[in-house]
Amino acid sequence: MSDPAVRVRDLVKTFEVTKKAPGLSGALKGLFRAERGTLTAVDRVSFELVRGEMVGYIGPNGAGKSTTIKMLTGILTPTSGEVSCLGFVPWRERRAYARSIGVVFGQRTQLWWDIAVVESFQLLREIYGVSGADYERRMKVFDDLLEIGRLLSQPVRKLSLGERMRCDLAASLLHEPPLLFLDEPTIGLDVVAKANVRAFLKEANRRLSTTVILTTHDLDDIEELCERVVLIDHGQVLWDGSLRGLRDEHLPEARIRFDLPQPPPGDPQDLVIGPWTAGRLSPGRYLLAVDKREASSADVIREIVRGLPVLDLAVSEPDIEEVVSRIYRENAALRKPDAPPPSEGAAPGFVSHRGVRRG
Amino acid sequence: MRRVRFHARLLALYFAQYAKARLAYRADFAAAALASFLGTAASFSVVLLLFSRFPHLAGWTFPEIVFLYGFSLLPYGLFSVVSSNLWEFADRYLVEGRFDRILLRPVSPLFQVLFESFRLESLQEVATGAVAIGWAVSRLPDVSPLGLALLPLWAVFGAVLYVSVFGLLTAASFWVEDRVGLAPPVFNLMSFGRYPITIYDLKVKLLLSTVIPFAFASFYPTALALRRGEYLPYFWAVPLVAVVFALLNVALWRRGIARYGSTGS
Repeated sequence: MSDPAVRVRDLVKTFEVTKKAPGLSGALKGLFRAERGTLTAVDRVSFELVRGEMVGYIGPNGAGKSTTIKMLTGILTPTSGEVSCLGFVPWRERRAYARSIGVVFGQRTQLWWDIAVVESFQLLREIYGVSGADYERRMKVFDDLLEIGRLLSQPVRKLSLGERMRCDLAASLLHEPPLLFLDEPTIGLDVVAKANVRAFLKEANRRLSTTVILTTHDLDDIEELCERVVLIDHGQVLWDGSLRGLRDEHLPEARIRFDLPQPPPGDPQDLVIGPWTAGRLSPGRYLLAVDKREASSADVIREIVRGLPVLDLAVSEPDIEEVVSRIYRENAALRKPDAPPPSEGAAPGFVSHRGVRRG
Repeated sequence: MRRVRFHARLLALYFAQYAKARLAYRADFAAAALASFLGTAASFSVVLLLFSRFPHLAGWTFPEIVFLYGFSLLPYGLFSVVSSNLWEFADRYLVEGRFDRILLRPVSPLFQVLFESFRLESLQEVATGAVAIGWAVSRLPDVSPLGLALLPLWAVFGAVLYVSVFGLLTAASFWVEDRVGLAPPVFNLMSFGRYPITIYDLKVKLLLSTVIPFAFASFYPTALALRRGEYLPYFWAVPLVAVVFALLNVALWRRGIARYGSTGS
């Protein structure tokens, strides 16, 4: 099994769109001469996944995440490029391929709306040819991990979002597919439900070496589940590598917050400490941001406590949300033809939207 | 063969699950069944009324007319049981996006669309039709036993033909957004099949025997039983016509799904 589970090469998807002029006159004009354009939703995306890998596929709204997932699951046919998943070309061998994958769309259930959950499971059991013994055993595991036992007798439409998601997850793994696609699996869930879902996915990935591709808005999902992220924006891969690498590359900052027993004379806005400047947060409380490539936080802390009667001190790193939103902003600025290059705050390791760096 | 068995078992399971869910609301189902039966009774009384005016409708006796009418209910009822999702396909599956889910399962998409929901109450039409045929047979002097024995099978071919014609019309929604379009007028054509085709003029006869060959679903299948020798070639052509339209339907759905794959809508 040295072949990658998923191989995507130069994947492109363009859609024809009809531009509509606003208003009634625009609608009338459109009747006679519709202006057509093409929209590139996915633009030369390439990546590979080895078996058992769990990868977060992230990007802002409209970045092309769902379009990619739809091509990888065989729903959409690409405009160009190659995909091989478990040796299948998804859209060409759709039905055979469908037996080897599980799919969860957070926004929509894969179960039958009006019938009891357990009956949906029985239909799926028949469709995927799961044996009676396997079915019993797996349902028991699902109940242990997801506590779906008491939900089984209810129709899907009566379940809460969190309950439905647990059932959907179980349904997607009933046939123990080697490859699992999750599109926003925690959307709209409360903290407890999110934790359950994440624990379940971790366990499934560990026990069955399921390869998982996960798109999400919730970067906590990624931080808890994925070693690796593929970040796309405007259809292009901006980053493919570890989450840590992403942070180190784009926002390599340590933030040191310290408290003084009382505000220094005059309660100044800035406090100069050696080559650095700390900013005032509140009387007596300051924050100093250090570029980690220039100095270690230990050095900076030593410098701070040497000159000041520090009461308390805490070091933190920017959270991943901040890193990612900065990348989106930088990319947006870069894409505007007449905008100045993103100078202030841009980390030098910024990946141009042509080249992809693995970290 | 294995695929046929797989789909047959799946169909039985789909039907059983759906029926179970539907019958959970017994009063609701009883009301729907009653309404459906009243509709059938009303259209039947129109036939009776018509016949009271013209006792020999273009050379057809009363029991023959009842036989024709009764038979027309069989393919029509079977078609009604499985066609509910065809009417709602564009809205429910394409606009709401359920079609994605269909494509993710290792089962024929058309099979799933047809059999994910049933209009159970339309089974009363099949039962009513059978009763009408039974009554007519008791009054008719000479009915071909072979023709009678083949009726159920020919009713299934008729239903396949109806489903295929509406499947073709439904598949158009893969290309065009206007989906009110052709289906209702074509649907109305089905009621022509309740009467002997001989009462219509040539244009209607041609239409029902060629482009929209509903005469092969509801009129020609009775030719053998009623010993109408002049229509026997048409009678034997029924399976062929049904299979040809079914294949056309499957082919168009395949094209439609390919198109869905490139547009995503």
